[in-house]
Amino acid sequence: MAVREILCYPDPILKMVCKPVAELDQACDTLVQDLLDTMIESGHSVGVAAPQIGVSRRVVVVDVSNSKLGRENNHGQLVMINPEILEQSGQKIMREGCMSVPDYTGNVTRAEDILVQFLDRQGDLQVIRATGFEAVAIQHEMDHLDGLLFLDRVSSLKTDLFRRKKR
Amino acid sequence: MNHFALTIIGRDHPGIVARVTKVLFDLGCNIADSSCTILGGQFAMILIISHPRFVSKESFGTAFDPIEKDGLSVFIRTLKPGGEAAPYLQGELCLISVYGSDKPGIVYPVVKELGDRQINITDLNTKLVGSPENPVYVMLIEAILPPDIPIEQIDEVMAELKGKLQVDITVRDITPVEL
Repeated sequence: MAVREILCYPDPILKMVCKPVAELDQACDTLVQDLLDTMIESGHSVGVAAPQIGVSRRVVVVDVSNSKLGRENNHGQLVMINPEILEQSGQKIMREGCMSVPDYTGNVTRAEDILVQFLDRQGDLQVIRATGFEAVAIQHEMDHLDGLLFLDRVSSLKTDLFRRKKR
Repeated sequence: MNHFALTIIGRDHPGIVARVTKVLFDLGCNIADSSCTILGGQFAMILIISHPRFVSKESFGTAFDPIEKDGLSVFIRTLKPGGEAAPYLQGELCLISVYGSDKPGIVYPVVKELGDRQINITDLNTKLVGSPENPVYVMLIEAILPPDIPIEQIDEVMAELKGKLQVDITVRDITPVEL
């Protein structure tokens, strides 16, 4: 049980590709608990990825059930170990901000609808379909596992609206 | 550290950014903030720059003369201390999209409603799109609503304008999501 400090860019761990969790041992469970504690403590956060607290492993926690945008449509508190997106469709643009990149936000286009597979805290394989804000939050957190920040995905307001056809 | 606002505009062609930033680099200036884009056929650059020793625009000497000779207009303004920092404004961010057949008098009536309510505009872009036979005017406004003005109120105001101006207007919340 510990609230951990959120690392900010340019901490090099945020740009690393995380290793999969090989075994759901005590260390993994402690990591999950620290992620949950850190997410809850920060109040406004709807998700935290392991590299954000300095652990380069493929684990994220997501919970959009307390946020205005996700309240109506969510799976509650999600612990996702070695998550993988199996299918994705649709497009949704949201202006994202990230605790690891303070004071900057940008419009990011992500899939609106995803089918995602992961191991839960007990080690059981889960497959869920997430949509809307929850889907965006999961994709944002999963990007952290590949060393990607939303800054790797922003495009400007102008480009989004006026140049989309040419892409 | 003194800050300056540098504005450069001229007929667009490749190489403008490289020429301008080479001058800044050779002078030892920092670029703190910038926005550069094509407006019509012009390339417009607005930069907030700083220099550890420069105190006024005279400090730049004749550094920009070759650029001006090349047909670009250069303007430098010395900022007062603090002029480089963004003010902290509280409130919900909203995006107002306005579009319709091109005609004079679309921008002012819309922004007047915002100005009258002391709503801060943080970004505004307009563009003429569509075909030459059917030009469509598009304006996007990003604004911060003060805490006492709900988005529904702006929605109502804009709905009324929509009828008056015969354009389409939508208002939506774009407050960033913290992830």
